[in-house]
Amino acid sequence: MLEVRNLVKRLPDGRVLLDGLNFRVERGEFVALIGASGAGKSLTMRAIVGLTSVSEGEVVFTGETGKVYRPTATSAKELRRARRNIGCIFQGCNLVRRLSVLDNVMIGRLGRIHPLRSWFYGFTDQEAREAMESLDRVGMADFAARVTGSLSGGEMQRVAIARAIYQHPLFYLADEPIAALDPKNTEITMRLLQPLACENPILGAFHQPDVVSRFCTRAIALRKGRIIYDGSPHLSSQQLAAIYGDGGAHPADMQPALVGS
Amino acid sequence: MRSKEFSLARYRRHARPAIVLVALVIAAAWQCEVNFRDLLKGIAKGLSMLAFFFPPEWRAFPEMIHPALVTVIICVIATPIGAALSIFFGLAGARNLAPPWLRLLCRSLIAIERGLPEIVILLILVAAFGLGPFAGIMALAIGSIGMLGKLVSDAIEEIDGRVLDSAAAVGATRLQVIRHVVIPEVLPSLVSHSIFRFEVNVRASVLLGAVGAGGIGYELNAAINQLEYNRATAAALTTLALVFVSERASDFLRARILGGGTV
Amino acid sequence: MSAPSFAVPHALLPSVRLRRRLVILAGSIAALAGLLVYLRVDPIAAVRDFHYVTDLIREMLPPNFRLLAVKPSIWNSLVQTVSMAFLGTLVGAGIALVLSVLAASNTSPNRWTRLAVRTLLATERCTPNIVVLLVLLIAVGIGPFAATLSLSIGSVGMFGKLFADAIEHVDPGPSEAIAAAGGGRLHAIRYAVLPQVLPSVVANCFYAFDVNLRAAVALGIFGGGGIGFELNVARSVLRYKDMFACLILIMVLINLMERVADFIRKRLFSMEGELR
Repeated sequence: MLEVRNLVKRLPDGRVLLDGLNFRVERGEFVALIGASGAGKSLTMRAIVGLTSVSEGEVVFTGETGKVYRPTATSAKELRRARRNIGCIFQGCNLVRRLSVLDNVMIGRLGRIHPLRSWFYGFTDQEAREAMESLDRVGMADFAARVTGSLSGGEMQRVAIARAIYQHPLFYLADEPIAALDPKNTEITMRLLQPLACENPILGAFHQPDVVSRFCTRAIALRKGRIIYDGSPHLSSQQLAAIYGDGGAHPADMQPALVGS
Repeated sequence: MRSKEFSLARYRRHARPAIVLVALVIAAAWQCEVNFRDLLKGIAKGLSMLAFFFPPEWRAFPEMIHPALVTVIICVIATPIGAALSIFFGLAGARNLAPPWLRLLCRSLIAIERGLPEIVILLILVAAFGLGPFAGIMALAIGSIGMLGKLVSDAIEEIDGRVLDSAAAVGATRLQVIRHVVIPEVLPSLVSHSIFRFEVNVRASVLLGAVGAGGIGYELNAAINQLEYNRATAAALTTLALVFVSERASDFLRARILGGGTV
Repeated sequence: MSAPSFAVPHALLPSVRLRRRLVILAGSIAALAGLLVYLRVDPIAAVRDFHYVTDLIREMLPPNFRLLAVKPSIWNSLVQTVSMAFLGTLVGAGIALVLSVLAASNTSPNRWTRLAVRTLLATERCTPNIVVLLVLLIAVGIGPFAATLSLSIGSVGMFGKLFADAIEHVDPGPSEAIAAAGGGRLHAIRYAVLPQVLPSVVANCFYAFDVNLRAAVALGIFGGGGIGFELNVARSVLRYKDMFACLILIMVLINLMERVADFIRKRLFSMEGELR
């Protein structure tokens, strides 16, 4: 379904940030990308959605009807075709604070709307109705008219998820979606994401091993741009120590256990 | 004795720059043909002319309404046009949207425009289109681009890159990002600055009018040239009222925008 | 798609918003057209007569820089423009400083003085430079002197309120200390208020110099002398190549002065750092 083949990213000064990543994500999976800061999690996500260039290798994913998408291709048209099928949920949400919640969700449809139409005509009522459905799925329908900047972090994260859902993507990329959230909102968010993963796979970067263990179906660990682990999401402390390395404190030590786990 | 030395020493540091300053002032004064005798003569003449200037010709006030309207309308037309044009220049001059050559070109054009007082632009337009409000409108519109264009460019460059990336990641083209992310972000500040620019334009419009763009400036100049000093006073007072009202209106509107979101 | 369980709030419906936007757009265009009619301006004529612009451009190019050699008084006029702005700013700042002391609530002798001076300043601020210039031209005749005076008076208006507000925001501590030591009000102003206000005064002077430079060019066109005057002369005798050369000189001058002012300002502030 989603296939990352030999992904390499090299900087001009010779440093290698991603060193030959190879993995597949299939339907129904909720894959957690874990690793210390700087290991390359965000970079991998950005590479998959084409926000950063790739030195070698490619990313390919296929749709139900067998259509093939290559976000690492250089043609702008291909990139747009690929991107509109990837639902991105990035850390810090990156929504337009000045716009209403509904407007932010509707931005998700832009990949499928012709630019001239969206410039002069805007969106259709039907598109707005479908956006409301997505908002309803995350429980934020009542917030549709609110200014996005007035929402709390957890609420904004849900709006971001609604936007991703609204894209009707083939899979989701979530870059540390719960990093800035308190335990209650973490729980809400993960409970939203889990059923989504059953419909369309999710590749998410996480810092919290207990969250990974509870909600994800698989874990891929990165260290210095290489995959050092690919398997069960339940990791022992030795494995975690190896992943986060240097014997120093890692998030598992610092994170209080989730209430009621 | 001792305290005198003490205080002098304290000022020694200021001595050199002070001397330079005084020398410059004297040189400048000579250049500007500053002449205290003329000044005194002028004051005397001005005082004696006060009788000519006052009282203002009350009958002329109703005649000043149309010119005053013309002056304001010139600004009402020119400012939005200038604002609209500066959106284009602003977009093209933003580092995060435009290719470097385009950005350099636009920023340079804007900088060049900022170096031109509106009246100079008007003179050129008058040479092409003749006198009248049309040249005035165009001069003010072009003149506004300098200030507003830079503001828009700077505002766009300050948009968090992650928000732009996030919109691009859903597959939006650059045009769509501009329409749905960039413009909503910069529009409120553009509107606010345009209202301020309107106020600046009103003053400029008076000056341009005197050169021939019409309006109250023209009336004032004409009255003085025809030695109708009471009429000139009426025109001058109308000008003051006009500037005052436009300032109040501008402050009020801008406060409302800052307070309550977009108009 | 299945039936939506939540309806879109009416005000957010795209069709409603589109209709509202179109109404506003149509209304604005109608208003604009109405205003143009009132002004008796024919925008179509601009398109029709656009060849005048191209004709003019052709006549303006190439700019006649030989003017600088043939007519050395141009150099003089450049210096004159700068001098007008310089002097106007300084004199204006000086007078404004005195007036602002009278206009600030913490340094003014009484309420009436304060009110009178504030009103005077506000009135001046509402008076465009051109009005002052036209009157001065009658009083002291054509030339840079009238323009300089006009710029000075204009600067007083610009600075007056700014300085008065700055004085009112000054830390009262030092003035109280001086009063406690037995000093009079003038002492307090000289040693407590002015030093605190000085940095902002200097900063404003730089800004005002830039504004006054452009104004000096503008007023020059009116008979105030300087490069503005030369530009207008060239235009009125239809020597457009000369006019364009003057225009370029104006742009270069303003740009140059901006940098010079920047440089001096930076040096002043580093000097100030040493003085402290």
